[in-house]
Amino acid sequence: MIQVNAMGDTCPVPVVKTKNAIRDLNGAGVVETLVDNAIAVQNLTKMANQKGYGVKSEKLAENRFKVIMTIGEGAAPPEPTQDECCLISPPGTQKNTVIVIDDDRMGDGSDDLGKTLMKGFIYALGQLDTLPKMLLFYNGGVVLACEGSPCLDDLNSLQAQGVNILVCGTCLNFYDLADKLQVGEVTNMYVIAETMTQADLIVKP
Amino acid sequence: MREKRLSLIIAFDATTQAMAAEKYCIEHQIPGRLIPVPREITAGCGLAWKASPGDKACLMAALDAAGIHWTAMHEIEV
Repeated sequence: MIQVNAMGDTCPVPVVKTKNAIRDLNGAGVVETLVDNAIAVQNLTKMANQKGYGVKSEKLAENRFKVIMTIGEGAAPPEPTQDECCLISPPGTQKNTVIVIDDDRMGDGSDDLGKTLMKGFIYALGQLDTLPKMLLFYNGGVVLACEGSPCLDDLNSLQAQGVNILVCGTCLNFYDLADKLQVGEVTNMYVIAETMTQADLIVKP
Repeated sequence: MREKRLSLIIAFDATTQAMAAEKYCIEHQIPGRLIPVPREITAGCGLAWKASPGDKACLMAALDAAGIHWTAMHEIEV
């Protein structure tokens, strides 16, 4: 059994240290990691589940947790550490990810399939462990934030979880939808330009 | 953290069947919605109908009536 002390370490260090310990095991065994925050427990548990290791955790005291991983014979060794090891980000360290939606369809080809895919994409956003910071709707995408959209429940849920939703006012005006907006705030091109240029990551489905 | 609920998940072999199921269910006010197939389920075309487990009988009857072919039903936390 190997013990890892990751007290005081922030993500992804506890995962990195634990992965190194698992590699040091060089086979079956147990690795116990001590951490001081619940986010680290979640990240370690998620990593163990992904790798098929047995995992349990216990709270030893306030700000003191133990995560016990059991690595079986033949279990996949952890890959060299990459950015993806930080599966759940601590509050305040979330990337500024902006999702840009400029159509009510996802991809080119069948309109019906494109609409189904876009609905699925917006649903899937709400299932992510790390939510985007903002959804930005313009041109044909604004209909998804308006009356009659099949995505309103999912968008309201995202907004309730803290995701900002901005909708292009010029576009609402053009499509005569200004009084049909159901979710999000009306915005202008200056804010759109600022939001996109300051984003860490822009995703366009 | 998002709250998960036990849900009935109906998987389809063909995307067209999943889309036909959505159209039929919406037109006939049958409960549920189309979602991307949850990661836990490997079978199917990538789309699934999600509903409450209590609606299983109603959904099976509706899909039979519509002549829509589904592949598998699962009850999982989603």
